[in-house]
Amino acid sequence: MIRALAAAAILALGLGQGGRAEPAIYVASQEAGALTRLDGPAVVGLRLGSGPAGLAATADGTLFLTHPEAGRITVVVPGGGDRRALPFRGQPFGIAASADGRRLFVGDWQAGTVSRIDARTGSVEAAAPVGREPAGIVLDGEARVFVAERGGDSVSILDADTMALRARLPVGRAPFALALSPDGDRLYVGNVRSNDLTVIDARGLLVLATVPSGRSPYGVATSRDGGLILVTNQESGSVSVLGRDLVPRAQIPVGRYPEGVALAGDRAYVANWFSNDVSIIDLAGLREIERRPVPDGPRAVVAVPLRGRGEADR
Amino acid sequence: MRMFLATFLLALAANAALAHGPTPQKIQQSIAVAASPAAVWAVLGDFAGIGTWHPDVARGEGSGGNGEGATRTLTLRSGGTLQESLDEWKADGMTYSYRMGEPDLKALPVSSYSATVTVVPDGAGATVSWIGRFYRGDTGNEPPDALSDEAGRTAMNRYFADGLKGLKAKVEGKPAP
Repeated sequence: MIRALAAAAILALGLGQGGRAEPAIYVASQEAGALTRLDGPAVVGLRLGSGPAGLAATADGTLFLTHPEAGRITVVVPGGGDRRALPFRGQPFGIAASADGRRLFVGDWQAGTVSRIDARTGSVEAAAPVGREPAGIVLDGEARVFVAERGGDSVSILDADTMALRARLPVGRAPFALALSPDGDRLYVGNVRSNDLTVIDARGLLVLATVPSGRSPYGVATSRDGGLILVTNQESGSVSVLGRDLVPRAQIPVGRYPEGVALAGDRAYVANWFSNDVSIIDLAGLREIERRPVPDGPRAVVAVPLRGRGEADR
Repeated sequence: MRMFLATFLLALAANAALAHGPTPQKIQQSIAVAASPAAVWAVLGDFAGIGTWHPDVARGEGSGGNGEGATRTLTLRSGGTLQESLDEWKADGMTYSYRMGEPDLKALPVSSYSATVTVVPDGAGATVSWIGRFYRGDTGNEPPDALSDEAGRTAMNRYFADGLKGLKAKVEGKPAP
């Protein structure tokens, strides 16, 4: 019965529809325990319970959500109208998925580890100790896993196949969010306590620059062409926009306590944790054009790329 | 369908009851003050001067004035010390934002917080809003009661409410509650 109802709810979310023309925007609300699809004519949601925090997606539209409170990962599968739970021993927080959707890389906030998980069975294939409080995790196209170590003021780089540590780079204080440039040459790191952005040469594994942001940068994303970098300033209630040259272009006021940010097409979507809404930003005009209410406590937002066009919005 | 829904909701309720873990918590308090916004800001806006109006603060010491990065060390009457640093201070918006340094669970049972105070015009007077975000004292999945989300909410709500009442009394020229 529950399964049937869940399937109906997922169909209502629009996950079952193939051949969509627009990218799909999903928001995870930790407080409400809800997943919301934002880009339809109306906001529609799915109750997941137990505080989803981390959110990752693969190109086919499969979503992976971590529930640190429950020791669980939820997989929401498109097309089949199905979702399932993978148990996780510990406190799963940051998450990244391999491009083929077979492997998940999941940080355990409390244990200070990153585990590689089989996305179908949930079994742990390998685990690596990392610095304290692993936060944002991203995977590049060369099988390397970047981990923001919030409690260690560093970013570690793991080999995705062996899970061996390849390098560890010192960054600012309390790094939280990571974003890789579309062609994988740069990693942007938001440092929550030092209020700045570290730019890393992702190929040479060197720190290129550190530039100031607003207060408590909690989210980072880049445009599809890599020409714009957006940083959410949680405490300032704003989004900083930088060019690839790292020169500030704009400071855009948004809702209260903005955290996650995702870009798709000519829009950016910002999850405002305190005001329980999403700011939609026009990237051409660099201004907020709409603020849409979502369930309480939105923190993570993800854009599922346009299908079949080889695009890779992050 | 109604039965399906009932079962579904029950399953969700059971799920919610198990919830624990590192979920940030919101605090939001406000109070109306019978004084002009400028008169309220003249008292509230002194970052290190919180000890002059917050009844729970026995002593406040600051350095850096009201500049970004300024710090204040507050000794609470109940024991414990709060180390806080100023992130933004805007006289034109009559608002400032700050966050805690190292936690002191004796002072407040939370592991980190940030907060913003703002004065807004309200008719002939002013309303002061104090909002914040915190993580409970033990961010593991099995916190003791004294370091739970609930304990954090209770303590933070009390601290904000006591402060706002004290601020109101100070600005309106009445004895502290």
